[in-house]
Amino acid sequence: MNYLIKRPYAIVLGLAFLWCLPAFSPPLHAEMSPKEILVKADEARGNLEGMEWEIDIASVEGGRQQERLFLVKARTFNSLAEILAPANVRGEKILMLDRNMWFAKPGLSKAVPISPRQKLIGGASNGDIASTNYAGDYKVVHATDDEFNGERCYLFDLEAVDKKATYDRIKYWISKERLAGVKADFYTVSGKLFKTATFEYEHTVDVNGAVRPFISKMIITNAVMKEDVTTMRYSKAKFGHVPDSTFNLNLLVK
Amino acid sequence: MAGKGKAEETPAPAEKPVSFFGQHFSYDLRILSFGVIQQPTDSTQNPSNNFLQLQRYIGDGELRPDLRLSLDNLDLSAKPRARLDYNAWEDGSRRGDSEWEHDFFVNEWLARVKVRENLFVSYGRENLQWGPSYLFSPSNPFFQDNGRRNTYLEVPGMDFGRLVWIPGAAWSFSFIANTDPGLNKTTGPGAFLSATPPPPFERTYTIKADYTGREAYASLILSRREDAENVLGFFGGWTVTDAILLYAEGALTQGSIGLYPVEERFSPFGASMETTEKHASTLDPTILLGASYTFESKGILTLEYAYYGPGYNTEDAETYAALRRRGAQSFSLGGPFAGLGMETLGQTAQTDLRFLRRNYAMLQYTQTNIRNNIDLTFRWAQNLDDGSGQLTTLLSYSLGKHVELFSVGTFAAGGKNTEFGSFLDYQVMVGLEYTF
Repeated sequence: MNYLIKRPYAIVLGLAFLWCLPAFSPPLHAEMSPKEILVKADEARGNLEGMEWEIDIASVEGGRQQERLFLVKARTFNSLAEILAPANVRGEKILMLDRNMWFAKPGLSKAVPISPRQKLIGGASNGDIASTNYAGDYKVVHATDDEFNGERCYLFDLEAVDKKATYDRIKYWISKERLAGVKADFYTVSGKLFKTATFEYEHTVDVNGAVRPFISKMIITNAVMKEDVTTMRYSKAKFGHVPDSTFNLNLLVK
Repeated sequence: MAGKGKAEETPAPAEKPVSFFGQHFSYDLRILSFGVIQQPTDSTQNPSNNFLQLQRYIGDGELRPDLRLSLDNLDLSAKPRARLDYNAWEDGSRRGDSEWEHDFFVNEWLARVKVRENLFVSYGRENLQWGPSYLFSPSNPFFQDNGRRNTYLEVPGMDFGRLVWIPGAAWSFSFIANTDPGLNKTTGPGAFLSATPPPPFERTYTIKADYTGREAYASLILSRREDAENVLGFFGGWTVTDAILLYAEGALTQGSIGLYPVEERFSPFGASMETTEKHASTLDPTILLGASYTFESKGILTLEYAYYGPGYNTEDAETYAALRRRGAQSFSLGGPFAGLGMETLGQTAQTDLRFLRRNYAMLQYTQTNIRNNIDLTFRWAQNLDDGSGQLTTLLSYSLGKHVELFSVGTFAAGGKNTEFGSFLDYQVMVGLEYTF
């Protein structure tokens, strides 16, 4: 009699355990390699086949404020950023074709080649306004788990695969839940921390039928002068094919 | 992975519907006002400023609207200009003179059709420039002035028909026909404050191929002028590291339209200026090598060396100097050869060569966004053959979001009969630009 009563309970308990199991098991993307996780994190920061967005950059540096509104068109490693405001710099353009970069402005007869080290505004580098390609430009030398703002994260120690990457070393916190980078520490080749960035993802994007978080804000803080802060707000993101002609120097200066 | 559509954002307040014109038309409007103080050099090229009659003071006001209409497959743009300037002379035969001038002209305009996504056809008046160099752009067969000397003076546009084909992300090909000199002439509004008078115009046809790699780019340009000058131009650049750029630009010229001094026993001056190289079969190389380094502080140091093959050798330079001296003497003294002296000085002033000699160097330092509102450039150009040099300073200061104060200074060094010292001792421009 007792055996006949206990067996249904065991089945129910087993089913209840199986139903609750996902809450306790690590996410499926824990089976992904660090590189695959980086690819997902890059997607959330715009590494997609063709996109256009506006970025409002407000910087405070040495107590001085400066603001720029950019229209950015990007596709894989290429991007064209045009300043929309304020009026006195409207029309200035920065063209990035992978590691090649040019600056053009109304009144300049031709585009001027510039180096990747050239600053954009405040703490933002030219590489910060375009899509990221950490999965291609960096190797994961150390991976561990950590937490940021109460969120469980992968913490990757990234080293540039060659001297051509924007930064030599990055510590990158990627949310396990959202697979989006939430914090980054940037280091010089000598190992000195020079700036820190945090990221917010209030936008979403449809990627092959899956809804993915998409970047809405990036805050860059100077590691030494902590009052120097640059805030980048992303908006009006549109996805779709961006033609080669958008990035062609022969058609750039009008 | 490809995303599609729009990113979902927090809904914004409903926007008013935009008209067709509002959606496709855009414009920029700038008002420029500047003053120039310059000191003409008392040289054999311009004795007592009686030949070139250069002004001492110039005041200028310009209205610069840039208009654009962008449709799906058609882009239209125009840059009409209105200019009012005041000129005053303090040197030479025009001492005490002053005059007002006004001009209305269209410096550039363009109609571009997108035939296919990777094929564009256009015709219009353009300032068509390319290449990475600052000192000059030897690969460009159309313009002597590359606009780098003074970025506040617009290079006068010429008329071009263009076909641009972009078969892929890395390659593009252009066919360019330069059909008319447009405003790029020695007279008219395009000659205003021009430092490099253009050569006589001939139609020129060009094929240009461009390649862009991951960290380097290169272009090849083949040109032919209708008076039979053929030029093979090239330029390229390499991003070596985050901070270092290397670049090169050059041309191989068959024949030269330039004027060269030729000794002539029977000439009153013992020599004359002739186009001796116009139909030459020999090839003259021009090569410019450049490097730039960007510091952590974001200042940029740039160094260039140029070898200009068509320029004068030492013997040519000595004959040229002697001819110019005799021309100046005859012009100044009057008499039976005054007219020949004037003609000779006209030729020595406009040889249609980009430079007089062969070896040049340039050192430049640029720092932008100093204290969020100052841009600064110092440029030193050196003629390594005759020892003359030229310092150029460019300064701009942002006074808020619409106003910019600017200054451009050019200062000559070396003797007054050297290349850089022959025309002006100095020229200083100070102005204000308002952008609406």
